[in-house]
This record gives sequence, C-alpha cells and structure tokens, in this order.
Amino acid sequence: MSIFDNLVAGLGLVANFEAFLSLFIGVIIGTIGGAVPGMSVTMTVALTLPFTFAMTPITGILLLLGVYKGGVFGGSIPAILIKTPGTPASSATVMDGYPMAEKGEAGRALGMALWASCTADLISNLSLILFAGFLASFALSFRPPEFFTLILFSLTIISGVSGKSMLRGAFSAVMGLLLATVGLDLVYGTNRFTFGDPNLMGGLNFIAVLIGLFAIPEILSVVWKPGDAHDRTRGLGKNWVTFAEYKRSFKSIVRGSVIGVVLGSIPGIGAAPSAFLSYSEARRKSPKKENFGKGEIEGVAAAEAGNNGVAGATLIPLLSLGIPGDVITAIIIGAFMIHGLQPGPMMFVTNADLIYGLFIGLIVSSVFLFFIGSAAIRVFKFVADVPRSILFPSILVLCVYGVFAVNNNIFDVGVMFAMGALGFVMLRNDIPAAPFLIAYILGPMLEDNFRQAMLMSGGSPWILVSSPITWVFWGLTALTVTAIVRAGIKAGRNAVQKAVTEEG
Amino acid sequence: MIKLHRQSVMGIFAAGLGGILSFIAIPRWVATPANVPNIVLSPLFWPYTLAGLCVLAGLGLIWVGLHSNERFNEDEGEVSGAFARVFFFSLIAIAYVWALPVLGMVWASVLAFAATAFLLKSDYPKLALVCAVLFPVVLYGFFAHVAGVAIPQGEFVRLP
Repeated sequence: MSIFDNLVAGLGLVANFEAFLSLFIGVIIGTIGGAVPGMSVTMTVALTLPFTFAMTPITGILLLLGVYKGGVFGGSIPAILIKTPGTPASSATVMDGYPMAEKGEAGRALGMALWASCTADLISNLSLILFAGFLASFALSFRPPEFFTLILFSLTIISGVSGKSMLRGAFSAVMGLLLATVGLDLVYGTNRFTFGDPNLMGGLNFIAVLIGLFAIPEILSVVWKPGDAHDRTRGLGKNWVTFAEYKRSFKSIVRGSVIGVVLGSIPGIGAAPSAFLSYSEARRKSPKKENFGKGEIEGVAAAEAGNNGVAGATLIPLLSLGIPGDVITAIIIGAFMIHGLQPGPMMFVTNADLIYGLFIGLIVSSVFLFFIGSAAIRVFKFVADVPRSILFPSILVLCVYGVFAVNNNIFDVGVMFAMGALGFVMLRNDIPAAPFLIAYILGPMLEDNFRQAMLMSGGSPWILVSSPITWVFWGLTALTVTAIVRAGIKAGRNAVQKAVTEEG
Repeated sequence: MIKLHRQSVMGIFAAGLGGILSFIAIPRWVATPANVPNIVLSPLFWPYTLAGLCVLAGLGLIWVGLHSNERFNEDEGEVSGAFARVFFFSLIAIAYVWALPVLGMVWASVLAFAATAFLLKSDYPKLALVCAVLFPVVLYGFFAHVAGVAIPQGEFVRLP
C-alpha cells in the first residue's frame, strides 16, 4: 500500500468523535500534570495508562500521546511563573522565562513558549511521519543477531546518558534485566526465581513495576520533605507576544526543533539536553547574546523548541524499531502491549492503519495544544495552588486502583509498593530509574533474540558479528562507551581541579 | 574510621548482589532441564551472565567511589524526621495492602488517604478528609461501572 492509501486507512480509524475527544482530554490532563509542581509528565502518563484498558487501541494510545504532548508544554508554565520547572526539560526555560516574569512580562514569555512549543511539536511530528516508515522498511530485513545488537546499543546509550554516571546507569539496567528474568523460561518453560508462587510465573506485572518506579518514589519524596508552600505565582502582565517577535525568533525555533528531532530519535537522550543545546546555540548565534539569562524572549523560544522538538521524534525508534527512546515512550509501549500490539517494523505491515491513524492524531494534537495551552496559561494559578498534602494522597489512591485494575490482583499492588521502595532508594542514591524500566521492557526481547541467534548458529557466537548491520551497532556501542567514559574522566578531573582551586 | 564514598557502598552492594545470585539464588531458584544441548541455550546462561555484569558494575563503582569527590544532592539527616515519616508511610502501605481484601478497596483507600494527608502535615485537614472520602468513591464509580473492574468490596460495607 502507498503512503496515501495508509493515510486514508488511518483517517478511517481516527476520524471519529471518541478518538479526538480522548486526544483533547489527554492534552488537558498532560498540561495540568506538567504544570502542577511536584508532578511530572512521566507520572501523569503512568497514572493515565490504567484508564486506557477499557478503550480501543487507537483511542487509548491517543489519550496517552495527548498527555505526553500536553505535559511537555505544561512544564514550562511553572518554570516561568514560579521558577519551578514542571519537567526537567523546562529547566532551560527558567533561565529567561523567570526574569521576564519578574519584569511583569510573564504573559509574553508564556505566549512565546506556547507558539514555539506548537511549532516544534509540528516539525517533530512531521519528521516522525517522514522517517519512521523509512526506518521501519529498512528494519524489516533485521534478523535476531541484528535485533540483539540494536537492543544492546540502545541499552548502552540509555545507561550511559540517563544519569550522572554510566556505571550507575549500567547497574540500574542490569537490575532491570535481572527482574525481567523472573517467570517461566522463554524456551524450556522452567521456573526462574518464581519461588513456587504462581503469581510470579508470568513475570512481574509491567504496569505495577512502572507505576511503582515512577509514582511511589515521588510520594515518598514528599513524605521525606513535606509542606504545602511554594514560591509566589507571578502575574501574567499586560503584554502579549507579537507576531513580529515570533518572526524574529523563528530561526531559533526551527534550529531548536531540528536539534530536538535529532536528539529525540536517539534512544535515551531525552528532552533536557536538547533544550539546553538549543538554548546555547540560540545564544551563540544571537546578536543580542548579552541579554540571554536576563529575560530575552528568544531564549524562551529556543529552550521550548528544543524541549518540544523531542516529543514526536522519540516515537521514531518506538514505532519503527520497537525500542522505547525514553521513559514516557516506554510507558506508551505498555499501552500497545495491553492491547496485544507489538511496536516495531512488522507493525507497519500488519497495523499500518493504526500507525497512520496515530500520525494524524499527532498532527491534530499540535492544534489542540495551541488552544488548550492558551487557556492553561490563564488558569494556572488554580492548578498551582493544589496543596501537595491533597495531591499526593490522591496519587497514592489512584496508583492502587490503577495497578489493581490490570489483572484484578492484589499481589500486583504489593509489587508496586516494593518497586516504589526500590525506586526511592535509587532516587536517593542518584541511580537513574529510566535504564531499569527500559531494560525491564527490552530484557525478554534481548534474551529472546540472543537465544534465537544461538539456535540459528548452533551455538556459535560469530553470528553476532555476521553482517554489516551488526558491525555498525557494535561500532556504535563501542563509540558510545568510549565517549561516555572519556566524558566521565574529564568531568572527574575538572571536579578535582575545582576542589583543589577552592582549597587553595 | 575510614568513611566510604556512597558510590563505593553501592558498588559493594552490587558486587554482593552478583555474588549472592551466582552462588545461592541461581543454583537454588533457576531450574534447568538435564538435556540442554548447548550451554548458551540453557535457562541458567542469561541469569549467570547478568550476575557477572552485576559484579563488574559493582567493582567499577567501588573503584570510582575510591577516586571520587562527587557530592550527592542531599545528605542524610538534612530533613528532620524524614526517616520516621518514611517508616510510617511504609506501615501505611503495608496496612493498605492488608486491608484491601478485608475492608474493600474504597474504605481502605479512604483510610490510607487520610493517614497520608496527616503524615504530610496537611494545612487543610477538613479538605483532606472530604477528598479522602470522595476521591476513592469517584474512582470506584469509574473502575467498577465504566471500566468493568471487579473492585474488592470487603467484608463489612458493600457499595452498589
């Protein structure tokens, strides 16, 4: 089928009131979740996931994608108004957004953040449509050795760039892979770490693991340091962004979007580095570079473009290769799995209508984001004033209902709390949770492809270096490890030098 | 007394975990058929590989910790009463799981909500109580009547 045929089939699937309503509600939920200080897009997407069980696949996945899109923009609202980034990626927006708010120009900063976000979102979605199908058709020729090396490369890069140290990321990923071995063996059906408990034979429930890892530690963090107070919310001011200002910042917005697309399509990098890189590039190229950091509107535009440019691009590896690029897409893969779908190159053959339906939904989400974002800017004060002592007990109850609803099993609720405790320990020790979750998802695929490759070769490991594609992935893995280790050694030397200078 | 860097402590834990897996957990809790033709196809191969990687990551962390002056975000004891609150929250979580089949999900959630709000030193106790009752009931309405989930009802008060 041609792209046009696929688009028509996708439109047939998505052109109904239910699908667009769910996308619209998703963007609202995401914008609120991103805007509430203390919540995160990841947690919001994770908590929305249980509500998709009763929906059709397209409606449920569109709801989650709406939450993702809304959440990425929503994070910029508290970043500008109360100097508290709603998401880590919004930290770059604080640098010029908050000084503008202090000058009484918060409305102007938020307006530019919205316009830049919608433009970058659109560019990112178009890139997804252009590149995902191409990459998937290339990946159709992959055999188990190619998939094994691809997953290994993805895990290496996710472990390396997710946290402050590659070793802690690697340890996190190994723990995730270990947890994925719980259950019956893939080939022989023998027990692995089931301790004779039938609840463990199918492995640990994915939703319980992810909600436990990403929602419960946030509740525990509030328990660790409670309190309802936050910084004063700044007024919006009288000025609004003008088209001339948008035009002046357009180059930075497009540059930031392209940076977002490139970094977003590489598994593991995420939105924060993209936002900071886009911001620093805009400052480097701007004739008003001395104004950056003091309330320059182009700085807000660049940071938000870099941040939102990632949102569509992270779906490229997910849809075309079945590899989640970050934690949020790892949660979205859960929605696919719940509905019996496995993202990857074969999906472009077997469920092309769904893929193209999602593409259409994503384009529409940029339009929804513009209208919902405009309203959210005005009503943020009410959202920001939700006391944490009401919000987090609500999240606790929502987690329990959501996890129980997957299998009607109280055991899963226990697993969620156990994972929450582990997640909190990891959080306190700066061990990133993202490699853990992504390794937990990719673990069975990694092992399965490895064993299939070994079966094909009769146990010879040379099959893992048997084709040019495997050489490329091994080379990229080696390059990634070298680059990250070198960066770590350099950072360590700089820290030692700084400490010596301070002591002197 | 030698004060170990937190990364080294993590490394000792990781290496220890790998050791326990290799010598105790995998031999005891991973079953394998007797007639596996090739070692790499055995159900034991993957867990042993991961245990080995765990030991390697642990040794790496110990080495890095010995040469590191990285400061972690917060040191223990910086927030007063934090450990006690986390301990009480753990008790709430255990009681919550235990109460689900006994009291039912709605009433267990009401109690867990109220207890957590109290633990978080809410400035709005009345609002917290109202939300503690309303929120679980609304969620029950959605999951039981819209999503068709069999929410546990408990042994005392049953909801329609």
